[in-house]
Amino acid sequence: MTQENQKTQKTQKTQGAEGTGGTLDGLQLAVLTSRMEQVVRAMANTLARTARSGVINTARDFSCCVLTGDAQLLATAESLPVHVMRGPDLMAAYTAQQHPDLRRGDAYLHNSPYHGNSHAADHCILVPVVDPAGRHRFTVLVKAHQADCGNGTPTTYSTSAVDVYEEGALIFPAVRVQREFTDVDDVIRMCRMRIRVPDQWWGDYLAMVGAARIGEREVEKLAADVGWDELDRYAREWFDFSEQRVAEAIAGLPGGRLTLGGAHDPFPGVPDGVPVSVTVDVDPAAGRVSVDLRDNPDCQPCGLNLTESTSASSALVGVFNSLPVSVPANAGSLRRVEVLLRENCVVGIPRHPASCSVATTNVADRVTNLVQRAIAELGPGVGMAEAGLVQPPAWAVISGVDPRTGGTPFVNQILFPGVTGGPGSPWADGWLTFGHAGNAGMMLRDSVEIDEIHHPIRVAQQRILPDTEGAGAFRGAPGALVEYGPTTAPLTVSYGSDGAVHPAAGAAGGTAGAVARQLLRRADGTLQELPVSGLVELAPGETVVSESCGGGGYGPPRTRDAASVAHDVREGWITPGRAREVYGVAVRDGQVDEAETSRLREGVSEE
Amino acid sequence: MAGDRYTIATDMGGTFTDLVLEDRWTERVHIVKSPTVVDDPIQGILAAVDLAAAEIGIGRRDLLAGTDTFVHGTTRALNAILTGTTARTAFLTTRGHPDVLLFREGGRVDPFDFTRPYPAPLVPRALTWEVTERVGADGAVVTALDEAALVAQLREIVAAGVEAIAVCLLWSVANPAHEVRVGELVEQHAPGVPYTLSHRLNPIVREYRRACSTVLDASLKPLMTAYLEDMKRRLSAEGLVGRLLIVTSGGGVMDSAAVAAAPVHVIGSGPAMAPIAGRDVVDRTTGHQTVLVTDTGGTSYDIGVVRDGDVSFTRESWLGAPYLSHMTGLPSIDIKSVGAGGGSIAAVVSGLLTVGPRSAGARPGPVCYGQGGTEPTVTDAAVVLGYLDPGYFLGGRVTLDIAAAERAIAERIAAPLGFTTVQAAAAVMELATEHMVRAIEDTTVAQGIDPAAAVLVAGGGAGGFNAVAIASRLRCAAAVIPDTGSVLSAAGAAISDLSSDFAAACPASTHEFDHDRVGAVIDGLVQRAREFVASTGVAGELADVRLFADARYPHQVWEVEVPLPTLRIATAADVEALADAFHKMHEKLFAISDPTSVVEVVGWRVRASCRTRSTPLGQVESGPARSRAPRSRPVHFPGHGRFDAVVRAHDDIAAGEVVAGPAIVETPVTVVVVDPGATATRASTGALILRRNGADR
Repeated sequence: MTQENQKTQKTQKTQGAEGTGGTLDGLQLAVLTSRMEQVVRAMANTLARTARSGVINTARDFSCCVLTGDAQLLATAESLPVHVMRGPDLMAAYTAQQHPDLRRGDAYLHNSPYHGNSHAADHCILVPVVDPAGRHRFTVLVKAHQADCGNGTPTTYSTSAVDVYEEGALIFPAVRVQREFTDVDDVIRMCRMRIRVPDQWWGDYLAMVGAARIGEREVEKLAADVGWDELDRYAREWFDFSEQRVAEAIAGLPGGRLTLGGAHDPFPGVPDGVPVSVTVDVDPAAGRVSVDLRDNPDCQPCGLNLTESTSASSALVGVFNSLPVSVPANAGSLRRVEVLLRENCVVGIPRHPASCSVATTNVADRVTNLVQRAIAELGPGVGMAEAGLVQPPAWAVISGVDPRTGGTPFVNQILFPGVTGGPGSPWADGWLTFGHAGNAGMMLRDSVEIDEIHHPIRVAQQRILPDTEGAGAFRGAPGALVEYGPTTAPLTVSYGSDGAVHPAAGAAGGTAGAVARQLLRRADGTLQELPVSGLVELAPGETVVSESCGGGGYGPPRTRDAASVAHDVREGWITPGRAREVYGVAVRDGQVDEAETSRLREGVSEE
Repeated sequence: MAGDRYTIATDMGGTFTDLVLEDRWTERVHIVKSPTVVDDPIQGILAAVDLAAAEIGIGRRDLLAGTDTFVHGTTRALNAILTGTTARTAFLTTRGHPDVLLFREGGRVDPFDFTRPYPAPLVPRALTWEVTERVGADGAVVTALDEAALVAQLREIVAAGVEAIAVCLLWSVANPAHEVRVGELVEQHAPGVPYTLSHRLNPIVREYRRACSTVLDASLKPLMTAYLEDMKRRLSAEGLVGRLLIVTSGGGVMDSAAVAAAPVHVIGSGPAMAPIAGRDVVDRTTGHQTVLVTDTGGTSYDIGVVRDGDVSFTRESWLGAPYLSHMTGLPSIDIKSVGAGGGSIAAVVSGLLTVGPRSAGARPGPVCYGQGGTEPTVTDAAVVLGYLDPGYFLGGRVTLDIAAAERAIAERIAAPLGFTTVQAAAAVMELATEHMVRAIEDTTVAQGIDPAAAVLVAGGGAGGFNAVAIASRLRCAAAVIPDTGSVLSAAGAAISDLSSDFAAACPASTHEFDHDRVGAVIDGLVQRAREFVASTGVAGELADVRLFADARYPHQVWEVEVPLPTLRIATAADVEALADAFHKMHEKLFAISDPTSVVEVVGWRVRASCRTRSTPLGQVESGPARSRAPRSRPVHFPGHGRFDAVVRAHDDIAAGEVVAGPAIVETPVTVVVVDPGATATRASTGALILRRNGADR
């Protein structure tokens, strides 16, 4: 009954090639691209279906990709952008460099933030695909966010850790974890001693290795069909084609150079917040974009520092989001988008032992937001507003012991749908369950009932909040409220929520979304503000109230289609007062009052 | 007394209503295609009945009077949902959770594509009411139902002009007391308004999915009740005394009255039956038990899977594109559909060839139809390649414009790619094949099926173009073209079982298995299943009652449905057998298992199936006689080149005869392309078996 995704105007994501100039024609390129994407889909499917932790199997907080033997990103299917655009290439190169003897049957565990990984809680399994002659042809990579990674406190996001030692995660810089398809038990035993709820980790490990082996098998099958050299040639030509496509897309952007500044909210260790500055330079004639992140503070004594992977990826996501057509992200298209980084920079290349525990979300989202907003400010019809900031308690890592099963410990990140934040764009309103810039709504979200089975918690309420959207011609997604607490035993809630001070800004005349906040509801019903980041222990009878950010709006609100404004009023997304004051639309009995609206909007240009 | 000579099965699609008529006296099957009448579908069905009656030389009334079973598959419910013409429905949810239908379960596709709007909830927030109550995960009442407030809300609901009410409260599957009471108050304070309670309709954990099925069901009740009553009345008036059965998304049939009470079950009524037909034909033709059943339509390519003799189900049936629409929340036959069919449009974009998902549809249709189409399609490529006889398309009813097809391919495909026209047509066909292969692989990979152990069934009017090519790419044992291939779903409907599922959420673990509690639940389900069997009037030996466990490893969230050998889990050995069956199934699906781990069961399902017949469907009566003189024509086979291919009429091939490629086999509704190096054998079932040389299993 399902239909394959119908592409709209912003189309031709995986296909569209310059068949001339190479030896592969427009048919062969399309077919091999389809088959290579299929390899990645097979990996992703295996992982999602077999993993044990909710953060992987429910939320799909993972990515799979295929790289060439020389560590160039080839195929990513529908991965999380911040996971894959830059990083898998660095990791594959580092692994090959450290293991000149790598061979078929090997698998490598890699999570080092200093050698290409996103952050320590994302474990990666890299499997080299080796041809019968022993030549390393491809690498398949599976990256998945772990429920726990052995941090000092029960969270995979240590916002306050002053360095990697305080963070406490086990770090595996491309450590061999299988040889001859058999586990290196030394490594497994280390993980079992350090990672909380080790059976859950073990189940996830099996699933990740299983997915990587499926990928290996599928690449081998493909090579058996078309030949290894033909696959190499395909990769080269696909990169050239993709480069051409992105150059054409950039040619359609307004040119110019713009520096935008913003800041991550004050957090433990950074009492003044983290200022972030991006300079975007778009050269349509040359078909090139460059993003300069070097004019930013040094690494900070907290977990907010980005890794090389997430610094570059977050900037690249901002650029790719902004393009008027959807372009495949791979080593070829990335040749045209340069990200300038420096060492020992909070948005750059971290210097050991700076902590990068939170490198995939908070500051990374600030970078993406600034880049896409800067492009929006360069000219009409491109770029995007800013997305909501995270991660509020509705996406906390929760832990405790479960009295229902005789006091067994649990730890897991919960991911309720009520973290919204989709940014308005020149094309549509913000996607409601966007989440944050780094995963772009790709993750699935928890069911209340499933979370209540798996953890001793109860969700009191979850709803969108009216008048919290960034207003615009295309509005941002409204913020949402989630309230939950323990049922019968204390519950530890760990979170780090940006966006309470600096909201998601609007673009091209759109307004900012509402700010985030978090509160503790005591057993007597009184509410108390909670800090933006922390580890809170809730007693039975208490709940945490988490309000997520609204997404920024795109374009002047007074040019928004009046019927859409009336719809938002009818549906309780905005109040009639806001419709009138912010959008200049009078809504009566759920319908647009045309005469009154014309009067309100008088003098407002439509463009 | 109903006649017992005929069975009629109809499948009403958007363009055509297909009909299969089985005459049990002659053991012959007749197939008919008639245009669907959108404004009055029953008129379209009667028109198809008339065509079938004419074919056997009797009148409509005689045919219907002689029919004991009239099976109907329909896209009526799905169309009503997609066009927003279902009833104005209120959604009653637990206080605090008004946005269950809005939030869905997250997910999006194409991370860099921001043109797609977020899907609207199935019921607007303006028609959502929060009921003050709460049940916990353990079934305990956390907040009592506020009946006074509910009564006031029901007054608002009635005042809002609501035509149906859907009730889905959190944890009603653990303790239905509140939903039951809400139902009583609805009857009292909104009398006559049809309503659905989630725990009765679809007792699964996961509030979004349960809520979806509940609101879809309620919203379809007024419409489907009227439709089915009208159908029954009009067919009766025309002489039908026999039973009227409706095809369900689960690949079974239900009495029309039962469907009116739970119409959500017929949302997938259209294509669900093709795998049933494919399984049956292959079982009788080559004996394979793993079958990839495909149906090539004008705009889409539908894929269903039969695995070890069982048709594959999915828990995730989407109303439209995955993640961009909503789920039905109910298991259904797993039909994957991609935008690649005979009418799919080929184009060259930035130097790269594309085929589909855009389609020329029925209007204007392919360029060669001469109905105003200008963009080349897969069918136009087939014409250029020489597959189709321009004078014998659809049995000679349509004359194809070859020159127009060639021109379109030459200008729009060949020129930009630097190909010859024939090369371009071959490329279009090859890419269409590739899309179809990819869609099949999505399914086989997800289910751990090895296509090499499977047979491909190619149904649909364009299914024969590339059946050999697809089967070769997948390394399938063979491809089979059933003689009912052009009306596969209707053929499946004709042989389908009366079936019903009975499910309950009752968590259990192989560690400390609670025999008493689970036993009581399973016994209850089996009892209901047996009552269903009795109600069908089908002989006991034709009934099958099976128990399934929805099981997983601890902390997994996606359960695997495991068929169990017994209807009771009474002993430690039974628990052991359950665990063993789960480990094996997990290994089969995902290539890994964890045999030392405990297995958790989340829910139990008892499926009752009653076979409506004990004999296979007969062979299709041949079409009008035509020239049997040996013919040949030049045909270009992608990957092989141009050959003078022998052209054979399907009904002119003797059972057991082997036709060697390069060849074309023609039937009145389709052509089958037999590549060089491949053979076509006509089986005693009337089906064609296509094999590559060397693949003779």
